[in-house]
Amino acid sequence: MVARVEVIGLSRSFPGVVALDNVDLSVEPGEIRALLGENGAGKSTLGKIVAGIHPPSAGSVRIDGVAVQIADERAAGAMGIGIVHQEGSLVPQLSVAENIFAGRQPVGRLGQVRVADMRARAAALIAQLGVTIDPGGRVADLSPAQCQIVEIAKALSRDLKILILDEPTAALTLTETDRLFEVVRKLAAEGVSVIYVSHRLAEIFALCHRVSVLKDGRLAGTRDVAATTPDELIRLMVGRDVHLRRSDMSHTPGRLVLEAAHVAAGAMVRDASVKVHAGEIVCLAGLIGSGRSEFCETIFGARRQEGGLVRIDGRNYRAGGTWDAKAAGIGMVPEDRKTAGLFLGMDLVNNIAATVLDKVSDGARFSEAKAVRLAESFVAEMRISTPSVRQVVGNLSGGNQQKVLLAKWLAMEPKLLIVDEPTRGVDVGARAEIYRLLRDLAAKGVALLIVSSDLPEVLALADRIIVMAEGRTVGELPGASATEEDVLRLATKFTASVADVRATAGVAA
Amino acid sequence: MTDTAQTPARDPLPLRVVRRLANSRELTLFILVLALAGVMAAVYPANFPTASNMRAVLLNLAPVGILVCGMMLLMIGGTFDLSCGSTLALAGVWAGVVAAPGWLDLGPWAGVAAGLLVGAVAGLINGLIVTRIGINALIATLGTLTIYRGLTYVTAGTGVTPISDEFAAFGRVTDPVMGIQSLFWVMLIVALGGGWLIARTRFFRQYYFIGGNARAAQLSGIRVDRLILLGFVLMGILAGLAGVLYAARLNSAVVNAGVGIELKVITATVLGGASLKGGEGTIFGGIMGVLFIALVENAMIINSVGVFWQGIVVGLVLLFAVSLDRFKTPGRS
Repeated sequence: MVARVEVIGLSRSFPGVVALDNVDLSVEPGEIRALLGENGAGKSTLGKIVAGIHPPSAGSVRIDGVAVQIADERAAGAMGIGIVHQEGSLVPQLSVAENIFAGRQPVGRLGQVRVADMRARAAALIAQLGVTIDPGGRVADLSPAQCQIVEIAKALSRDLKILILDEPTAALTLTETDRLFEVVRKLAAEGVSVIYVSHRLAEIFALCHRVSVLKDGRLAGTRDVAATTPDELIRLMVGRDVHLRRSDMSHTPGRLVLEAAHVAAGAMVRDASVKVHAGEIVCLAGLIGSGRSEFCETIFGARRQEGGLVRIDGRNYRAGGTWDAKAAGIGMVPEDRKTAGLFLGMDLVNNIAATVLDKVSDGARFSEAKAVRLAESFVAEMRISTPSVRQVVGNLSGGNQQKVLLAKWLAMEPKLLIVDEPTRGVDVGARAEIYRLLRDLAAKGVALLIVSSDLPEVLALADRIIVMAEGRTVGELPGASATEEDVLRLATKFTASVADVRATAGVAA
Repeated sequence: MTDTAQTPARDPLPLRVVRRLANSRELTLFILVLALAGVMAAVYPANFPTASNMRAVLLNLAPVGILVCGMMLLMIGGTFDLSCGSTLALAGVWAGVVAAPGWLDLGPWAGVAAGLLVGAVAGLINGLIVTRIGINALIATLGTLTIYRGLTYVTAGTGVTPISDEFAAFGRVTDPVMGIQSLFWVMLIVALGGGWLIARTRFFRQYYFIGGNARAAQLSGIRVDRLILLGFVLMGILAGLAGVLYAARLNSAVVNAGVGIELKVITATVLGGASLKGGEGTIFGGIMGVLFIALVENAMIINSVGVFWQGIVVGLVLLFAVSLDRFKTPGRS
């Protein structure tokens, strides 16, 4: 049989770095092939070359045995190659339907866009993924998870021979992920070849036929999924053993740091309560749109609290703004590190100094020397790999950016640290280190409130799990003995289906 | 990390020179200013390097220089103020109205205070519109540009002339050594003081964070709205200061003072290294931008090139300087 996609001797370099180095790979029709590797291993680059976004520096791409030069993404689309990007290929100001059919809107005889037709088709594509999103709504009003779903629908809107998915589940919940897998399996059964870029091992074992591991731009090996183990793949990826297993709390929690009771804020937070003790890790679990992030933002003062009571160290507290939270000893690592967390155009020194300007100053004067010393201490302590503390943060890999973001908040030595999605878009190696850091923090007596959509992560980290649904905290589970099913049962407590939860929480509108 | 271990191939010398210059706009401008002054001094030894020419150049650039300090702060924070020229005129006219014997006749100091206060209030209004109502700074200050100019006409019709000799003294006092009037020295103090504050203090460092990523700054506990509001007020006070001294120097509050100056100020600020996206720039760069534009204009006057050509040359210089950014040391993608 002729391979659907074959790349031969493919190389690609960017200024200062070789992203891909002489890679050979072939994918059969109907095959779901995982591309696995740490961030910066070149897996996204490989996908982008096949999708026509980057031209290769050397080597060739063959589609159905014919060598092709893919000029751009549009040309790739015409050849039946679709890609779902890791992040943002959507135009936020336009509607969902416009985005899905960008440049290919169904038109009438006068060239006018047939809006109703386009929206109906968009709605059908989205429904396939088991979600309701108003196709007439603006993309700017969607959550990151909903944007991801629109991206996927956009790729599915073409007649595909090859579908490239680049970290498609980074923003999705378990249920949405399952739906996506069903769609991908259906496409594969119809003969579409799928290249699935991911560093989530569980997904690869659940979905893919074969897996190719990249390390530092080179192909480290290809395995049949049925005949390999997670440990083997991790060894191929990082060249060392990494343990993601749960380690139970070795100390007893201390005083009560955060007590939030019946907090309400807007439509997304209706009645949420949580208690976190010093040295304890509490995870907020729930579906996307259940109000977890919004609840945290309310505690942190980034969102107006309309009801309920928050106490910090037993004292009543109401944040008028994030500065009040900071003064009370609360830090928050936001979900979206690129738009809300980091100053991508600034160096590590300034990023880490941002929350502790008073600490790195002599009186009114900002002290570069102190700021550099602070940054250097975090680079060493957190093993951030960077050529220097003067490196611009936008040039670091995802895992290292996440560490800088954590460092920024650790610098202020919070007594309560809220971490929203601690390991989104972070590779396995860095993920293990971030878990270690969070556990060390707890051991030092910091109270940790963690939001995560990654259930294995919740189960590995949490001392207690608080589940939210529809803006309400609906139950509590002990971290040591809870299962994914327990959490999901609570998360869907009020309603039968995910779509219903969305509709009532006002997310879809 | 793989790229730390690699030593990238050394670029050819010309490219490295271009990079070095592209990475520091201040340095580029400084060299250009020196080169331009050197060439002019060599070619026109009788006209260019004379005390009277230098005095004229420095005095002419002073109002722009004062405004650039405020504009640089705003642009570092990711915003800007188009109404500063109108604020300058409004403040000058109110200083004249309060001080002039024919009008309110409250004395010269009251006139100065009134001018600064009017500037501060004008800036406060800009800031409130941008931060509280949430109107984009371009639209908001485009609106107040015409409103403040209109208020200037409504207040004083054709202007206040003369104001009073005591008031004029503020603008006409000169230093004993070089004989340059107060407007320039005030600009120098504002630039040095402001330059130190913005480069060195933790308070003004916050503007770089706001310009770098306003949402991240807010989530880092920085009071974004309050600081932007303050930035507009400072801009207004500086425009008031320039307006008062400008009126004092002429002993006349002119209603069309500062027409079009905002574009010159923004040109100098961008030339000096500010980015419209925010998060970049220094006062030193901004002042170098002002100095460079002033020298180009002076050179063209001495060369008796028509006035109409000045705008063309300044525009070309701006485009050239900004296109240098393309050669900045690239980051890893």
